Order: sequence, then C-alpha cells, then structure tokens
Amino acid sequence: MDITVINFLKLVLLSMVPFVLAAQGTMLGGRTGVFNVAQEGVMLVGASIGFLVSYYSGSIFLGIVVAMLSGGIFGLALAYFTTTLKMNQFVIGLSLFFIGLGVSTLLPKLILGITLTPPLIPTLKSIPIPLLSQIPFIGPIFFNQNVLVYVSVLVSIGLWYFLFRTQKGLELRSVGEYPMTADSLGINTTKMRYWSAIIGGTLIGLAGAYLPMVYAGTFTEGMTMGRGWIAIALTFFGGWSPLPILYGSLFFSAVEVLAFRVQVIGSFLPHQILQMLPYLATVLVMVFTFKRSRVPGFLGNNYDREKRSL
Amino acid sequence: MTIAKKALPYLLAVIASFIAAGIFIALMGFDVFKAFETILFTSFRTPNGFVQTMLKFVPLVLLALAFTIPLTAGKFNIGGEGQMMAGGIGAAAMGILFPDLPAILLIPLVILGGVVAGALWGLVPAWLLYKFNINEILTTVLFNFVAFFLIDYVCTGPWRDPAAGHPTTVAISKSAWLPLLVKNPPLHSGIILAVLVAIGIYIYTSRTTGGYELIATGANPRAAGVFGIKTRNMFVLSLVLGGAVAGLAGAFEVAGNQHRLIEGMQSNFLQLGLIIGLISRGNNGAVPFVAFLIAVLEVGASAMQRTMMIPVEMVFIVEALILLFVLLSDVVRRK
Repeated sequence: MDITVINFLKLVLLSMVPFVLAAQGTMLGGRTGVFNVAQEGVMLVGASIGFLVSYYSGSIFLGIVVAMLSGGIFGLALAYFTTTLKMNQFVIGLSLFFIGLGVSTLLPKLILGITLTPPLIPTLKSIPIPLLSQIPFIGPIFFNQNVLVYVSVLVSIGLWYFLFRTQKGLELRSVGEYPMTADSLGINTTKMRYWSAIIGGTLIGLAGAYLPMVYAGTFTEGMTMGRGWIAIALTFFGGWSPLPILYGSLFFSAVEVLAFRVQVIGSFLPHQILQMLPYLATVLVMVFTFKRSRVPGFLGNNYDREKRSL
Repeated sequence: MTIAKKALPYLLAVIASFIAAGIFIALMGFDVFKAFETILFTSFRTPNGFVQTMLKFVPLVLLALAFTIPLTAGKFNIGGEGQMMAGGIGAAAMGILFPDLPAILLIPLVILGGVVAGALWGLVPAWLLYKFNINEILTTVLFNFVAFFLIDYVCTGPWRDPAAGHPTTVAISKSAWLPLLVKNPPLHSGIILAVLVAIGIYIYTSRTTGGYELIATGANPRAAGVFGIKTRNMFVLSLVLGGAVAGLAGAFEVAGNQHRLIEGMQSNFLQLGLIIGLISRGNNGAVPFVAFLIAVLEVGASAMQRTMMIPVEMVFIVEALILLFVLLSDVVRRK
C-alpha cells in the first residue's frame, strides 16, 4: 500500500489523542451533570506542568502523572464550586480557564526564566506491539504508536464498558439524567459528581500533557490552539458517549492533519485559509449534528436535594 | 450605607486576592510591598502612566461590553477578540483603500468599517444560533481563531508592508488617524467615543423599551416569549450589537494606536473583557469602573515585569482570583 497513505493514517491516530482524552473527560463529567468548560485552561496547565516536571525529573512518566494530578485538582475545584456551593457552572468554568491560562504561562517563566531557546524534553517513542505491528498496512498504522495512543483507545473502551455495562455506570448516568430519582434510590449524587469531575479533569490534564510530549518537545504559550474548545464540540458530536467520541475524534484529527500536510506540500490555497480549516470544520459539524445530539438531561445544572423540584 | 454594603464584598475580594498573590510573590523571594506599590500606583505617578492606562482602558471597556450586552439577553459572547480583529481589518481596509478622502470623511468611514466588520463577525454565530440552534459559546470561540488567521492572511497579502520584518500591512492614510486628545504622551480621542458608547449602552439597557426587552429575554426567555417579545431576534440583536462594539475597539486600535494592521495584535483583551464583565455581574453601568481598575492593574503589571522581573501573568491570576472571590461572596450572602 502507498506509504503516504500509511503515514497519513498513522498521523491521524497520533493526533487524535488530545481530542479523545479531553472529550472523554468532558463526557465523564457531563454524565453526572457537571459541564466543564475549562478544558483549554486545564489542558494548558497539563502541558505546562507535564513539560516542567519531565524536564527537571528526566522522567516523562512522572510528568504525565503530575499533569494528571493537576488536572484532577481543577476537576475537584469545579466539583466543589458547582456541586457543594451550587455556583453557575459556566461562570466557574470560565474562571478556572482564566486561572489555568495564567498559571500555565507563569510557571515556566518563573522556573525557567525568559529564554530565547526553550529547553527540550525527549518526545514519546513509538512502541511497536510484537507480531501485530508486522501485519501489512494495519500494523504500522495501529500497532506502532506511542503509548498514549493505546491508552486513549483503552480509556475509551473502558469508559464505555463502565458506563453501559456496569451497575455503578448506570447509577452514574442516572445522576446526570435526573438526580432527584437517583437520589431517591439511595445513590450518592454528590460523590458521583465529585468523582466524575475529578477523573474527567485528570483525563483533560493528560490531554494537555500530550502536546509537549509528542509534538513540540517543549511548552509554548497557548499551544492548545483551541483544541479544548474543539473537544467540547466533539463531545456533542459524539452524543456524550465514549465510542462515538472515539470515532468522531478521528474526523477532527484528520482535518487537523490534512490542513497541516497540505500546507507542507503547498497548494493554491494560502496557508492561513488551511489553518482555519479545523475551526470551520468544527462549526460545520455542529450545524449537522447539534440538533440530533443526545445530551444528558441534567447537563450544566446543579442539584439541590433540599429543593422540592428540579 | 447601601453603597458601602454593596462595595464591601468587592473590596474583600480584592484584598483576599492580593493577600493570596502576596504570599506567592513572597515565597518566590520577591519584595511584596514594592510589587504591590508598582501594580497599584504606576498609573498615577506619571502622565505617561496615566495615558497608558487610558489606552488600555479603551479596548477593555469595549470588549467587556461586547460580552455583557449579549449576556443581558442571556447569551455568552466569547468571541470579542475575533470581532475586534475583524473590526481592525475593516477599519484598515477603509484607511488603505481611500487614502485621498479628507479626514472629516475618512475617520467616520474607518470607524464605520470597523463597526460593520465586527457586527458581521458577530452575525455569523448569531445566525447559526437563530437558524440551527447552535450553542453560541462554541461558535464565537472558534471564530476567534478564524479571525487570527484572517489577519495573518491580510497582513501577508497585497497590502503587506515589504519593509517590515513581521507580517504587517502598510500604514493607513494619515487623514484616517484619530485626532490626538493629548499630544505628549499621545492619547487618541477614541476614549471619548468609548465612554459615550458605554454611557449609551447603559442608557439603552436600563432606560429604554428595547433594552427592557433584552433584559426580559435574559431573565426568562419563555416568559418573555409569552408576552410577545421575539426572543430569538433579541439573541441575534444582542450578539450583533456586541460584535459591533468589539469591532469599534478594533477600529480604535488601528486608527488610534498602531495606524496599521499587525499580525498577532490580539493581546489578552478577550479574557480581561470577560473578567471585567463577570466581575460587574453583567451590569453595564458597572463595566467602565471595573474596566478602569483592571486597566490600572494591567499597566502596573507590565511595569512590575520591567522593573522587578515578576511575570505579568501574576497579575492576570490576581484578576481571575478577584473574579472568583466576587462570585464566592454571592454564596456567602445566600447563607
């Protein structure tokens, strides 16, 4: 098979990871009604802290863990302000986005100082899976990727299994659909919302850490370039379900890779128009899917068990 | 008494954020009091500092209004920066295309170009909302990025200034420059118009029927619909109006400050505009005052970075914390 096709598909899979992880994190929180809109900020914090920790400790693994923890802290804050204090989710999400944005640029400036040549960390290596990676065509595309590509697929399948095949998953979804009923059945809605927001936050933090560890090898200001916002659109596109989100991310990633490849090859279109493509494609996708999208019934609302009605 | 009571949570929020930042600055080994003094008083020590503050105030107040006007109708416009950039492009186009017009015609034309371009940029998400019921939050955000690339395209296109190293258009005609209010340090007269717009928006939303319809739509769209208000039209109107105000900010940046279009001329105006709008709790009357305070902090922040090497983001976090604490004061009061 043509080598450029293989390379293209391989890149699509490689670039889908931040979309998959951020969207699954958004989805998980939303399934209990906590609508996170701080992705862009949380991803930047994950990228910034993940990069700094990897650089100073020399261990990418440690960087990933700390980036996930910092994302989890943002998730915890979101859960606390919305679930315990019952504040407007969207406004709190924006505030957390601002704080994440500020922290992500402040930390490298304070720790590294302002340098012209930012230090680099080694990027994640491809790990070929024995035997499977030998299969022609499919092997190099699916089974010769970096570890987080495998993780993102496994996380998606795991979330699908948890949400749709286990009792706890059913309970979690019921909290996001109609918390009053869930509450009356003895489900701890507060605990569910906290955990889904926290674990969702860790996934979003991991999505951010992927950027310096795979693409650039360093952190640059605002390097998410709107991927956090696109992830929200992707979550709607995927109808707040893990597997459709996984497939949908292939589309968003394909547009991104295509726009980039065509720029490199050169075309009659100016490169700026190509760079707009991912954003315009996202808007277009929303036009076609927004109406039909299945959304958790209680998305974006806070549940107060002392009130008589929702 | 009532004013004091109203101001108290704000004051406490500011103090709490400064304490939090102070602890952090001290831990980093900087002189806290010198840092705070720089942040708070740079704007008032020299004429230059004050003019800098005013120049910062103009885009901030307009971008905050671009957020709060749609918020009045219950819609979130997170695309102020894209609309501002579109306005800048529209203004620059007028200034470059009609260089021979006299100032008395060209300046209004440039401003109009910015306002119309900004309004059109706001119309796209508004139309998508009207026609397809697409959440305006995402579309407005995404169109920011489209605008950033569009500006890059315009700056490298036929209007490119070949002498400049960075993608930049040629300068707009001298007769398109906004007249100066103060010669040295230069302060352009856009600030007068910005203040007038702020007052006009306040009067419109709080004293007129049209403004009341916006408020009613935002408070309860269903009830407003029952009383015959066309809520969907209100959504569109508010978003287009927001875009127009942001476009005006872009026109001022081009005609008052830079006199040309520069790739990457967007700053963190968007985030600051949102912070100002949210600290004001969407109250259009409070926006100019909050915008002034944030402008003071921003000018102080750059001075602090210059003299003490504390990154400006420190102050951005302080501003975000002020917002968070102001929001928290609601919860405290509810109890």
